[in-house]
Amino acid sequence: MFTSATDYVSGILAGDRRTLARTITLIESVLPAHQELARKIVDQLLPHTGKSVRIGITGVPGAGKSTYIESFGTMLTEKGHRVAVLAIDPSSTRSGGSILGDKTRMEKLAVNDRAFIRPSPSSGTLGGVGRKTRETMLACEAAGYDVVIIETVGVGQSETTVASMVDFFLVLMIAGAGDELQGIKKGVLEVADAIVINKADGDNINRAKMARREYEAALHMLMPASANWSPPVLTCSSLFSEGIETIWETILDHKQRFIKSGEFDVKRREQALEWMHFLLEDGLRTWFYTNPEVAQLLPGLKKDIAQLKISPTAAADRLLALLKR
Amino acid sequence: MSQHPDYTKWQALAEKQMKGKSIDTLNWNTPEGITVKPLYTAEDVAGLDSVNTLPGMAPYVRGPMATMYAGRPWTIRQYAGFSTAKESNAFYHKALAAGQKGLSVAFDLATHRGYDSDHPRVAGDIGKAGVAIDSVEDMKILFDGIPLDKMSVSMTMNGAVIPILAGYIVAAEEQGVSHDQLSGTIQNDILKEYLTRNTYIYPPTPSMRIISDIMSFCSKNMPKYNTISISGYHMMEAGANSVLQTAFTLADGVEYVKAAIKSGMDVDEFAPRLSFFFGIGMNFFMDIAMLRAARFLWHRLMSQFNPKNVKSSMLRTHCQTSGWSLTEQDPYNNVIRTTLEAMSAVLGGTQSLHTNSFDEAIGLPTDFSARIARNTQIIIQEESQVCNVIDPLGGSYYIEALTKEIIDEAQKIIDEIESLGGMAKAIESGMPKMRIEESAARKQARIDQGSDVIVGVNKYKLADETIDFEVREVPATVRDEQIARIEQIKASRDKDLVAKALADLTEAAKNGGNLLEAALPAVRARATVGEISDAMESVFGRFVATTRCISGAYSSECEAKPDVINAIKQRTTKFLESQGRRPRLLVTKMGQDGHDRGFKVVASAYADLGFDVDISPMFQTPAEAAKMAIENDVHVVGASSLAAGHKSLIPALIEELKKLGGQEIIVVAGGVIPPVDYDFLFEAGVAAVFGPGTPIPDSADRTLSLLEKKYLS
Ligand SMILES: Nc1nc2c(ncn2[C@@H]2O[C@H](COP(=O)(O)OP(=O)(O)OP(=O)(O)O)[C@@H](O)[C@H]2O)c(=O)[nH]1
Ligand SMILES: [Mg+2]
Repeated sequence: MFTSATDYVSGILAGDRRTLARTITLIESVLPAHQELARKIVDQLLPHTGKSVRIGITGVPGAGKSTYIESFGTMLTEKGHRVAVLAIDPSSTRSGGSILGDKTRMEKLAVNDRAFIRPSPSSGTLGGVGRKTRETMLACEAAGYDVVIIETVGVGQSETTVASMVDFFLVLMIAGAGDELQGIKKGVLEVADAIVINKADGDNINRAKMARREYEAALHMLMPASANWSPPVLTCSSLFSEGIETIWETILDHKQRFIKSGEFDVKRREQALEWMHFLLEDGLRTWFYTNPEVAQLLPGLKKDIAQLKISPTAAADRLLALLKR
Repeated sequence: MSQHPDYTKWQALAEKQMKGKSIDTLNWNTPEGITVKPLYTAEDVAGLDSVNTLPGMAPYVRGPMATMYAGRPWTIRQYAGFSTAKESNAFYHKALAAGQKGLSVAFDLATHRGYDSDHPRVAGDIGKAGVAIDSVEDMKILFDGIPLDKMSVSMTMNGAVIPILAGYIVAAEEQGVSHDQLSGTIQNDILKEYLTRNTYIYPPTPSMRIISDIMSFCSKNMPKYNTISISGYHMMEAGANSVLQTAFTLADGVEYVKAAIKSGMDVDEFAPRLSFFFGIGMNFFMDIAMLRAARFLWHRLMSQFNPKNVKSSMLRTHCQTSGWSLTEQDPYNNVIRTTLEAMSAVLGGTQSLHTNSFDEAIGLPTDFSARIARNTQIIIQEESQVCNVIDPLGGSYYIEALTKEIIDEAQKIIDEIESLGGMAKAIESGMPKMRIEESAARKQARIDQGSDVIVGVNKYKLADETIDFEVREVPATVRDEQIARIEQIKASRDKDLVAKALADLTEAAKNGGNLLEAALPAVRARATVGEISDAMESVFGRFVATTRCISGAYSSECEAKPDVINAIKQRTTKFLESQGRRPRLLVTKMGQDGHDRGFKVVASAYADLGFDVDISPMFQTPAEAAKMAIENDVHVVGASSLAAGHKSLIPALIEELKKLGGQEIIVVAGGVIPPVDYDFLFEAGVAAVFGPGTPIPDSADRTLSLLEKKYLS
């Protein structure tokens, strides 16, 4: 397609769907040349970013995240918003290929002209998810999407990575039999800005209400991250689009309060700093491992450690010494 | 009974002939999970309660009627897939003159899904795979000159059952035929639609209510009419093996019975009018045994409802030969396949039969191919003398043992469904769909590696395929003709009357009342199929399926031939290394054809081969599919077509891709596409066409080659 970053940038700023999609491909690529080009593009886009409401959504598989986004996103487009959805799909098979079926559960939103949905195979490292998703989010903002939703499955660590790049982090739960808190990590509750019990419909309503009380009690024991916000527990039915409006109001309320208290800017600045550190570490690591001398020395040292010929400390020292030169 | 006195002698003899190998090595493990031995003896059937019974008497293993074909042979019932009411009507007149006894109507996909022919979403579907019906005027053309008080009519309709059944009733009224004179069957089996074919409109709960309403209306007003035909056919076509087909079909049946009882009916009021529809494949003895087992099980399952009428637990069935077993390659072989399958249905004791035309993997049946198909049955009935003896295989050690195996295996699955809370709940859980898809992926893998032989496809292939017979196509004018007639009707009818009737129907949907009864005034007032469907949709909503895909089943069945698979995996990895990502493929199904087996098998197999595969929602328009391809930035779009929509939908997709700047996205097509259309598609910009029976490694290989040529050279 294009070769220069400027071409991509003008396409994105003009709101061209194809260019945005191509840019995301560059961002997601494992080739250094693509990543470099992507970085240039994102750099030039930066002045046009930051104006969206950034929402992260997590939940166990089957909690109804995609269905929720279908109904939530459709509502937002009806209100005049333009919605970008980034779905990180962890389902890669042994061979490394993935089946990306998210859009089959976002049927209406997928064909909506005011929406852009991009499912991504998360093959590769977790750090990858962090970098790629953040840059993709910025590109979507520059393309004029004023709500960006990131869907990630609540297993592993991707949810904390996502939490560190959004304004509002929503944890979707379902009422199940037995211990409500089972299977979800305390860490997730700590970063949640709201907990939503989904599938509160049909003969499930009472169970959802019960679960709501249990989560409220659990949240009481946690120290809220901000003095201006104690995360609420809400119920909704994504399938029947009930309770969705309230959640949007909650997100807007949160934003208002944070802007008023100044925390909004602080949080975004902190996230930017965090990101820089992350990139720094990520870059250092890549730089280190791609250093030819390291690459030459490392395999031998690994073997030596296994055969107890050298201590891990001594081996690390020798490798690090290479970098000092 | 104990072992045959000379059994060990026979065993020694056999093993000697096998040069010392154990006879167990001759065992055959069927896809159903049954181990079939090389020899059956009296010992295998000793003491079985399904053996040595009598026809026409419980448990009906040997047939529902006392005299079976010795008294009267099965009904030859050929289903016609013509595009317009007029053409279909002409076909019916010809077929009746040629010895056919009942009529069978297939509808186009737009009608199935409750859309009028002028709806923009269905532009590519009008007249494809069946007749387009928009109003009672079309129904009247369809049945012109056919006395509906004498002719039994079977209609394959599940989604838009209310407007279609009401249309049939009103067409009869206007012929002067009263409700109670009508005889025939409406398929009306919605549960299986959620499992396989996806031609539903509303969510399961209101759909089940519609079924109860129809049963209740008909039991009062149309006593000769069969209100439901519980169908396993589509499950088989979707890849279910014979045990799955039996279990899921009967479990659907139990669910309908429960729903009717719940709505206040007495079991004997409707159960005698339940009929079944099984698909018969190439596994000759298996499917004979399947029909026998199904009758036994249905009797057993119905006993829980304590029917007084013996007919309530008697399984009567229609059968159809398999469409999946038909090949595009060397297609005259299909006549032989269909003959074998027909024999299997007959020896299994079917009540009526449809035999497929040999060209169905290529195009719509022609007069010629339809004649051969019909004559296949006539020759069995009138030349072969198989009708003279009832259940001629009854007592065969093998058939009886196999019948028993299917009974036991299917019962296990039925119990599992029961423990999930019945079939509706089981469908919600996704269990039956997953089982069918797994069975399909395994079957595809067996075919691809040649362990299931298909002559002309994976063995004894022709070097040079030429088609020397006519291939029929849907005329492009069908849609225009239908739209013109809709406009005419809308201009001439009483608008207020229509509006009132539709409002009453919506009211019945909301607050109770029999929906079929409430639809009749709307049909009489010339409301269209689409309007009637919408009037209910405004209350019920339109159902959206969740598409889930299994992975791993394909490659696990391929372990026997890892070379081909590994070679492709290596190439996808090489592509990743050079392009920064895996080859990314969008598989899409445009139009209203809801058969999703093919496209799901492809999706899961390609992922196993190292592609990133995006799946589109069902029923997409070309513009919607293009948007998805652009946003997901795929390298290739694979468009699957099974219902003759390819000539309009696929070129439209390519146009839409161009509009969005995606001209470099490669488009390949797969499914039932007649070879005569290949050039047309290539000219429209399609890079490759994969006909039915293309092994997945072949299509993956060719798709990868296209990609490698474009990106790696
Ligand atoms: N009754 C009910 N069912 C729901 C609701 N939301 C989702 N579901 C169903 O739950 C199932 C899973 O929904 P998804 O949206 O695919 O869930 P998900 O969390 O995105 O799942 P993964 O992407 O696989 O992690 C689907 O069958 C939905 O129809 C709801 O509000 N009520
Ligand atoms: Mg999801």
